[in-house]
Amino acid sequence: MSVLVDIQHVTKQYKEAARPAVNDLSMRIEKGDVFGLLGPNGAGKTTLISMLCGLFPPGSGKIYINGHTHETHSRESKQAIGVVPQEIALYPKLTAWENLNFLGHMYGLKGNSLKESIRMHLSVLGLEANMHQKIMSYSGGMKRRVNLIAGLLHNPQLLILDEPTVGVDIQSKQAIIDHLKKMNRENGMTILYTSHHLEEAEDFCNVIAIIDHGELITQGKTKELIAQYNCTSIEEVYLKITGNKFRDK
Amino acid sequence: MKLLYSLYKEYKVLIRDRAGLAITFIMPTVLILIMTLIQDSTFKSVNESSVPLLYVDRDHDSLSQTLEKYINNSKFFVITKKQLGNEEVKKEIAQGHYFIGIIVPENTSKKLRERSMARIAKLLNSFSGDSTSTAEATGTDTSGITLNLFFDPITKKSFKTTISNSIERIISQIEMQGMVSALNEKMSETFPDAKPAAMENTPLVSVTEEYASYNNSTIIPNAVQHNVPAWTLFAMFFICIPLGGNIIKEREDGSAFRLLTMPGSYFIVMLGKLLTYTIVSLIQFALMLLVGLFVLPLLGLPQLNTGDSLPLLFLIALSAGLAATGFGLLVGTVASTHDQAALFGAVFIIILAAIGGVWVPTFVMPDIMKTISVVSPLNWGLESFYAVFIRNSTLKEIWPEILKLWLFFGFTLGGAYLFHKYKRLK
Repeated sequence: MSVLVDIQHVTKQYKEAARPAVNDLSMRIEKGDVFGLLGPNGAGKTTLISMLCGLFPPGSGKIYINGHTHETHSRESKQAIGVVPQEIALYPKLTAWENLNFLGHMYGLKGNSLKESIRMHLSVLGLEANMHQKIMSYSGGMKRRVNLIAGLLHNPQLLILDEPTVGVDIQSKQAIIDHLKKMNRENGMTILYTSHHLEEAEDFCNVIAIIDHGELITQGKTKELIAQYNCTSIEEVYLKITGNKFRDK
Repeated sequence: MKLLYSLYKEYKVLIRDRAGLAITFIMPTVLILIMTLIQDSTFKSVNESSVPLLYVDRDHDSLSQTLEKYINNSKFFVITKKQLGNEEVKKEIAQGHYFIGIIVPENTSKKLRERSMARIAKLLNSFSGDSTSTAEATGTDTSGITLNLFFDPITKKSFKTTISNSIERIISQIEMQGMVSALNEKMSETFPDAKPAAMENTPLVSVTEEYASYNNSTIIPNAVQHNVPAWTLFAMFFICIPLGGNIIKEREDGSAFRLLTMPGSYFIVMLGKLLTYTIVSLIQFALMLLVGLFVLPLLGLPQLNTGDSLPLLFLIALSAGLAATGFGLLVGTVASTHDQAALFGAVFIIILAAIGGVWVPTFVMPDIMKTISVVSPLNWGLESFYAVFIRNSTLKEIWPEILKLWLFFGFTLGGAYLFHKYKRLK
């Protein structure tokens, strides 16, 4: 398999922080992987994802997405990415259709292909009947499903998911995971997934990376990683590596 | 295409935001109505072209007619003639319908003629050693004649004195004419063959007056001409609260994050906001003009005189709208929370409005405040509107104010961009 994301010796130091949020981190994500990025609070996940999305450049090092960096090929790099933030990044006073239509146009989609894409995703995730209702009238699970569709509309090569199933009912969670698996299987969509739901990560991801204090601690195939650390689950591996101490800050 | 959809999205979000719409359109309408009604009488007290005067002529003779003519010619008053009793006149003034009431009693002209004649006769007789006047001989009353003046109780003392002096000056001229006529009559008795030329009654000494204000403003607006543009500008700049809130909300709910990850979309969305809210500013302006033209006259207030140049008014409104929207973008970018944006935005706009002459017009401010007022973008807009509404100014005269508004827009937009970049790179 070829490499989709190549992170080379990336460091990011915030101005007022005592130590780097990301420290000389290198890792690769292969095309077609469902890649779990795990780590405690403050490990550097959000900073790494922000740099992957092109929100700000690394202090040093390079990030290549499909062979391009944001600094030299911003448009190509961003077009290759779809983002599903942890927050419900939708306009509550617009309907699901209006939200997705707007966001689709912002990705450069238009016409029937956009309409068909919206309809297909809404239908698969069971929202077609409610697509002309305002988002503010939706349940938490319905909002999460629309939030996911907004990142999928342009069929990105890399889909970045930040806690995509947090706070949703079991049916919505299952629908989201099933749809993501289908997109990965049928479209070859690479998925970068971050979550504190380690059981879900173990079930969903074929590759797991654990980072802490801005550094990559371990990375490997999910099953191999469990075997390598003589554990029975990713949760055990995670606790073995990161310890039991609270990470409130 | 992206921009079009961004505009459409902003339009949908705005149209469904009832609180935002209320702030944007209802607040300025209500403020214009209330403030114009409150300030109407105050403006009348300082606006020399429209002091309402109730004139009760019971004399119907030369003095009352000449007095009325002089008052009319002074361009100082708007005369309403009625036949009322003294108490009714007082009541009309007390109710604020008129600033001044003048009653010219019956036979005032006749008395003036008689008394002028008596005084002249006494004067001329004194040359022949006879100190007894005809009046004394005939028992004519030579004491002063009284005209009744009533003033609105809210009238400032200085204004009252000015008005009294003006009326007394007019009466002095009439008295003088009466005396000269009497003298002519007496002299013609002594020199029956003489044919005296008519005496010129133009003043020998005249005083020229000119406003020496810093901006050569020579005309003071009325309450409508002040309040319509003032509160329209206030509402335009108040857009910073819904606009700032809109930007912060996008940041808080992750939409901004999502938009920033899309190719080129964040700046398209910001441009969409800029254009949408500038259009909203123009709609606000058009709506407030309509209020000034059609609603205020229904409440007994003067109709807004929009001047001669609608394109120039549009340019001022566009410039002010851009300045206001730029400020809103800056507030939304700098503030971290809704509360911060609402508090900072509201307080800042109220201060800019206060020093800019929205609440209290700059022409009644002390000199120090007049100097400070020129830093407020609301003042630049307001002065431009005054210039077009009142002085029919052209772009040649108001371009410095327009340029300031555009520079303010550039400064706030640049500030928002730099702050956005700084926050992202922090």
